[in-house]
Amino acid sequence: MRASQISDRTTGTGDDGRRRWRVQPGQQERNPRAFARRRRLERRLLGVLVPVVLLVAWELCANAGLIDTRFFPAPSQIGSTAVDMIGNGILLTDLTVTVRVLLIGLVSGFVVGTVAGLLLGLSRIARAALEPLLSALYTIPKLAVLPLLLLIFGVGELPKVILVGLGVFFIAWISVLEAILDLPGAYGEAATAFDVRGWRRMRHVTLPAVLPQVLVGLRISVGNAVLIVVGVEFVSGDEGIGYRIWNSWSIFAADRMYVGIVVVALLGYLLSLLVQLLSRVCVPWAPSTAARRD
Amino acid sequence: MVTKIQISEVGKRYEGRNPVEALSDVTLTVDDSEFVCLVGPSGCGKSTLLRMIMGLHRPSAGTVDVFADDPVLPPTAMVFQDYSIFPWKTVEQNVRFGFEGRRLPRAECDARVDKWLERLGLSQFRRAYPAALSGGMRQRVSIARALAVEPEVLLMDEPFAALDAQLRRVLQEELLALWQQDRRTVVFVTHSLEEAILLGDRIVVMSARPGRIIADIRVPFDRPRSPQIRTAPEFAELEGEIWAQLRDEVDRSLVGGAR
Ligand SMILES: Nc1ncnc2c1ncn2[C@@H]1O[C@H](COP(=O)(O)OP(=O)(O)OP(=O)(O)O)[C@@H](O)[C@H]1O
Ligand SMILES: [Mg+2]
Repeated sequence: MRASQISDRTTGTGDDGRRRWRVQPGQQERNPRAFARRRRLERRLLGVLVPVVLLVAWELCANAGLIDTRFFPAPSQIGSTAVDMIGNGILLTDLTVTVRVLLIGLVSGFVVGTVAGLLLGLSRIARAALEPLLSALYTIPKLAVLPLLLLIFGVGELPKVILVGLGVFFIAWISVLEAILDLPGAYGEAATAFDVRGWRRMRHVTLPAVLPQVLVGLRISVGNAVLIVVGVEFVSGDEGIGYRIWNSWSIFAADRMYVGIVVVALLGYLLSLLVQLLSRVCVPWAPSTAARRD
Repeated sequence: MVTKIQISEVGKRYEGRNPVEALSDVTLTVDDSEFVCLVGPSGCGKSTLLRMIMGLHRPSAGTVDVFADDPVLPPTAMVFQDYSIFPWKTVEQNVRFGFEGRRLPRAECDARVDKWLERLGLSQFRRAYPAALSGGMRQRVSIARALAVEPEVLLMDEPFAALDAQLRRVLQEELLALWQQDRRTVVFVTHSLEEAILLGDRIVVMSARPGRIIADIRVPFDRPRSPQIRTAPEFAELEGEIWAQLRDEVDRSLVGGAR
């Protein structure tokens, strides 16, 4: 909801004892610039402050011996381990490996999924033929097919990429399909009324109409892709952030494990930030974008 | 006369990408049980003003006061220009929605819902979803929802705009009769001068954006009024007079000089 709509009336008593409901300029109206600035500051501050407070609390608890530092090493210790891992290049190598798989899988899975969703949404026949099958396949845990993929493609990057792509593929086609089926009839009618068909109809009506949904799908996909890539690296291969986390755990190096976890979290955060930015650029008509003032 | 709504030196500016000065220095007093019609060129801020009376928007300057006899209940209810009824509720549930914010005995709610569905000719469709209704019927649902809560102040934003000419006429006359039976304060936005003269005690004419009040005309016809006054020569005369004032503003709003 836009901020301007959450206006509240103040009530008081009028001269004659009747109840007076009043609206008047608030902070936001009296000084819109300052209001916007304060909101922005507030948001940034809170966003940074909450994690920092938690980390400080963790550090204090670790130093005071309130928590078992074999499992929960102090943030400062994790930090110094991270510095070491950056210094000897392990972290960068791991990160490169993981990000490569992640991005290739994400992009290819999403593109194929989007095209499949469009096809399914626009063709009744394709929908009848493929939707039940795809829905059934959707529920198979992706990791369950890893052994099969390893058999077919051998160990290496490809099976991992395929697995990430598969996970993303399902999210993409489902969101696109649903978006197309939910298109308000009035859009299609307006297009038909002006005889806009085929590719033009796609470009001017269908694609923009489903775009917001597609971007929501992308945001969910990013999260899933990170989950899958880390999961796959747990069980196969000998590099990548996921491998590093699992391996550190098995050799009882908790601090290194945490470095991996933090890197994964940051990676997911950055990627979804990127998608949000993309949404803002691609969907300028969305109310949340148009009226954005935070 | 007792003041019901007091709008004092109100200005409204929409910030954002391209800021719009919607209203400028509007002062208006509406008395208790008065029926005021608001006319003005498209985009001059009529809806904005109504929304501020409803408490949905805050002004950028000035104050809007509504005085309520009821010590608790908010005095205003609104019929929105774009209906704002919920597609996931049936006609009946949409009308009943108005009571969600008020504590009222169940039986009383039922009775009022029935009454207003009946009056607006919606009884047959009470279990239909809005998607299956015509535009005019949706608008009637929105009107029923506002009337059912029987507010002290009724705010109506072009409530009959989507109706066909015949139904529009019927509902105008119905509203006229209803209001004359049970006088409430009404602020009514319309594009139709005829409608404004038929229904209103006063007609407030607004300028092109930024909206200011350029005329405040008392309608000389007695109450209770009958729809027959449409044919009176004074009626046409008054319509001509108001149109003369409005015409320049409409032109100005089209040229876009009124930024
Ligand atoms: N939420 C909003 N954000 C930005 N600008 C707005 C918003 N609402 C209205 N405006 C601008 O304020 C001006 C007045 O709008 P308003 O809806 O009050 O006009 P109106 O008199 O009701 O017009 P109409 O008769 O066409 O319904 C318009 O120029 C519009 O562009
Ligand atoms: Mg309006």
